[in-house]
Amino acid sequence: MIEPSTHLRDKYALVGAGHSRLGKVPGVSAQGLLEEAMHNALDDAGLTTQDVDGLICRGPDEIYTFHQVMGERLGIDASFSTTLTNGGASQVMGVALAAMAIDAGMASCVLVGYGRDNWSRVHANKENHMRGSGRPQQMYGMEFGPEFGYYGAIAAHGFGAQRHMHDYGTTREQFGAISVAFRNHALNNPDAVMKKPLTMEDYLAGRMIVEPFGLFDCSLQTDAAGAVVVTSTERAKDLRQKPVLIKGFGTGNNTSGWFNYNNMTHTGAIQSGKTAYAMAGLGPEDIDYAQIYDCFTYMVLVQLEDYGFCQKGEGGEFVASGALALDGAMPTNTSGGQLSEAHVEGMLQVVEGVRQLQGIYGPERQVPNAEIGLVSGHGGNTVCESTLILGAA
Amino acid sequence: MSDDYAKAIPIPGPESVPFWEGAKNHKLMIQKCSDCGHHWFPPSTVCTGCGSRNIEWVASSGKGKIFSFVVFHRLYHKGWDGEIPYAVAVIELEEGARMLSNVIGIPVEEVKCDMAVDVVFEDATDTLTLPKFKPV
Repeated sequence: MIEPSTHLRDKYALVGAGHSRLGKVPGVSAQGLLEEAMHNALDDAGLTTQDVDGLICRGPDEIYTFHQVMGERLGIDASFSTTLTNGGASQVMGVALAAMAIDAGMASCVLVGYGRDNWSRVHANKENHMRGSGRPQQMYGMEFGPEFGYYGAIAAHGFGAQRHMHDYGTTREQFGAISVAFRNHALNNPDAVMKKPLTMEDYLAGRMIVEPFGLFDCSLQTDAAGAVVVTSTERAKDLRQKPVLIKGFGTGNNTSGWFNYNNMTHTGAIQSGKTAYAMAGLGPEDIDYAQIYDCFTYMVLVQLEDYGFCQKGEGGEFVASGALALDGAMPTNTSGGQLSEAHVEGMLQVVEGVRQLQGIYGPERQVPNAEIGLVSGHGGNTVCESTLILGAA
Repeated sequence: MSDDYAKAIPIPGPESVPFWEGAKNHKLMIQKCSDCGHHWFPPSTVCTGCGSRNIEWVASSGKGKIFSFVVFHRLYHKGWDGEIPYAVAVIELEEGARMLSNVIGIPVEEVKCDMAVDVVFEDATDTLTLPKFKPV
């Protein structure tokens, strides 16, 4: 039985957010991109690397002790420093871990970030391009997968989408509503990689990749990085930006396996959300906008259900109703998300979650009257989830 | 059987050897708990149902249903050139364990969740047999 840890509520804050150049950035490593994002986040906060004593970051997973590589490059001795390995759930979890580390007296100002040079890697050679991955083959399972022609996260998530369609009558057009909504957001984001409008006809005409997913169900391959700065709310008062309060966080991991039980259609977001809501003392009805991990369209739909923004099985109708638009029932992925802005495994969702509460956007991008936002991270071997609930100071 | 087999050859972990040896003999081996009767896959050294270490390998009936599936329309490995589209599925065996495989012997358009299937053994090379599944 998990007891909500309410003493952390509002005690720590995000005081700066930034990202690197997004898209095709040849000639820069994942480390270089992350430095760019971290410096931008520190500039946003009005801080320098000299103020940082905590480092939680992630880069290409085959680089051993990535945080040490970054510490050396940034010239930071960190009293608290680590690399996370929960895949796309790592980045939101990194913010939660930063708050925990500060609360435990192990650091006072923590840089959290993730950088990847995925576009460059995928386009570096024919083999990577065919596999659609910049990770070395050895990082994947060597049995119970490749021998059956099973490759890529797309197939794992596709199983979930297919089962959801079977159990609840969800349709490809409903997945398409997600792609279209996020593209519309991206058109108001000058930094977003995708600049062309996307219609439902375009979505349906997209070539099939791994059915039920077509081209526009898939997130982008990009070179990009994002970073945020976490410190105490007390210290935040003296800094450049209006602080964004960490009201609650949670994690939930269906580590019993994506194939087991009903984990494909009832994700770790159920537990993760429950824990985060309890810490924040809030519920889904209090959330003004969401930044949801969107590796594939289906993951948005199922997480919206699992966070309680609609009933289980009704995610399809919910997204097709226009709910994800800036003036919809739950404005979602307001920067364009990983489907249309850039894919940094959830780190840009954290950045956008912060910026919506910094009050820096014009009306074309600002969620009206936003006071509380939810940010989700999902990934690992499809089963890890982390959640952050942010509030205006 | 062929010497120019171009698909990925699995590299069994130490705990998986009985599965692959069984497949060579056209038996679908899964693990069973001698205490609680739970069946599971992929292999581990404790029961994933109750945590008991009192476990054994047993032959599955090979009967089950398609829990979910995807259809590959894009080539990710040269070994599948000419076989696109093909179906990859999570099969739920009647003993309860789920495993990844291919659905064969049916056009991909006809593959459905919950469809009843039965194991068939494909001798891929002299030393590798793959359990695949066909609609009943």
